[in-house]
Amino acid sequence: MLQKVIIVLFLSIVSLDALEEQNIQKVTDIKVRQVLNILKDKTLSQKQKDAKNVRIIDDIFDFDIMSQISLGKQWKTLTKNEKTRFSKAFEKKIKHSYLDKLRLYNNEKVIIKDLKKIKSNRITLETQVIGLDDTYKVIYLFYKKKQTNQWYIYDVELVGVSIIQTYRKQFSEFLRTKTIKQLIESL
Amino acid sequence: MSKGDLSMKFVYIFLIITLFTFQGCTTKEANPKVNHPQNKPDSMTSDPLSMSTPDDPEKENQTEGFEEEFNEGFEEEFSAQETNTTSDPLSGYNRWMTSFNDTFILYALNPISEGYATILPQPLRLGVSNAIDNLQFPIRFANNLLQGKFQNSADELGRFIINSTVGLAGLIDVATNHMTTPIPAHDEDFGQTLGYYGVGSGFHVVLPFLGPSNIRDIAGITADAYLSPLVNVRGLENYKIPKNLGQSIGIYAIHTINKTSLHLGEYENLREDAVDLYPFFRDTYEQKRNSEIAE
Repeated sequence: MLQKVIIVLFLSIVSLDALEEQNIQKVTDIKVRQVLNILKDKTLSQKQKDAKNVRIIDDIFDFDIMSQISLGKQWKTLTKNEKTRFSKAFEKKIKHSYLDKLRLYNNEKVIIKDLKKIKSNRITLETQVIGLDDTYKVIYLFYKKKQTNQWYIYDVELVGVSIIQTYRKQFSEFLRTKTIKQLIESL
Repeated sequence: MSKGDLSMKFVYIFLIITLFTFQGCTTKEANPKVNHPQNKPDSMTSDPLSMSTPDDPEKENQTEGFEEEFNEGFEEEFSAQETNTTSDPLSGYNRWMTSFNDTFILYALNPISEGYATILPQPLRLGVSNAIDNLQFPIRFANNLLQGKFQNSADELGRFIINSTVGLAGLIDVATNHMTTPIPAHDEDFGQTLGYYGVGSGFHVVLPFLGPSNIRDIAGITADAYLSPLVNVRGLENYKIPKNLGQSIGIYAIHTINKTSLHLGEYENLREDAVDLYPFFRDTYEQKRNSEIAE
């Protein structure tokens, strides 16, 4: 019983935070500010910062769809167990990499720029990171999930390089000579 | 990013030597060590990571959901944007050179740049970086023109005039940081110009010290070297700052060390994302170039 209540509570929190089309820009902006504030907060330990930052992105990043796209056609050949294990490993890898990048933070400014509707279920949000001697373009790619009608991030493009595409390419090359089991282990 | 700051002769000689030397290696998997740059399990981050993947009872149902999502065009979307690397005749050499460059960056360039960063304060290093960028103006100006981007060329000209004068010979980027309406920079090089007119990338080539490149971009670097005041070319001595190859290399070395000192830790951070170093750098390079050309 208690478990059910917790699940219901958990789900309702998620849906409060989930994205509707009209508030993608606003919510992303709020989340970016939150992350920046955490990074600037000197009272927090690195571990606390990491934990807080992961919580902020958790409900707008769709890690399941990311892991699926990264494997491409190979995904369908996996057993259910392999799928779950791969998704978990991949999610961990992405979060690890994300937190690692945040550690480089050195007072860069972030500007939220244009939102573009590519088609009915795809939206891109361009942001600019202003560093010391350069400005970087970071684009967040959103898709609309059919079952929930909410928007989630399925890829991030840093200076024109798609994170998921890069993994996709690497995985397909890896799997040409090695097995999925080895891939999961190497993540 | 313009890479025209090295004498072409040097690149070619090196390329030819290395090509001959490592021709025999092309079928071998060079240096198995680089194939698996494992990131060690980090006790610092493992905590927040595992706590954020709760054992969600929804998981099972979701797996069914993905299959539907999968048909929503992700596969087409991603395979359409995939970089073309089917032809990679130099892969053996490229792999070797990637690990050579990697070792060079980790054990020579980075320590030197760290030392350099402790000697020169950051504002000064930023000044050096701005001044060198400012001197590369002819490359950006010409290539914007060649692509018919006249407004961008005008912007670049405006930036050059303002930064060279008010910005004290380019040390201060006044046009970006101290104007009510900043004039944006428009980085273009001849490799991008070629790409703009439909020239394909050709196969991938990893250059010593310069890193990932391809046939088209090597042609681009060569052409840009003639325009850059920072690379000596015989017959153009009056226009060029370095008078010989040694000076060109010296300027390039300072530029690279200075640039690295402003981005310490980034390379190590990036390489952690690689499952396999060579394809990782090849693919990120080609993707980045494709998007720069499309801009």
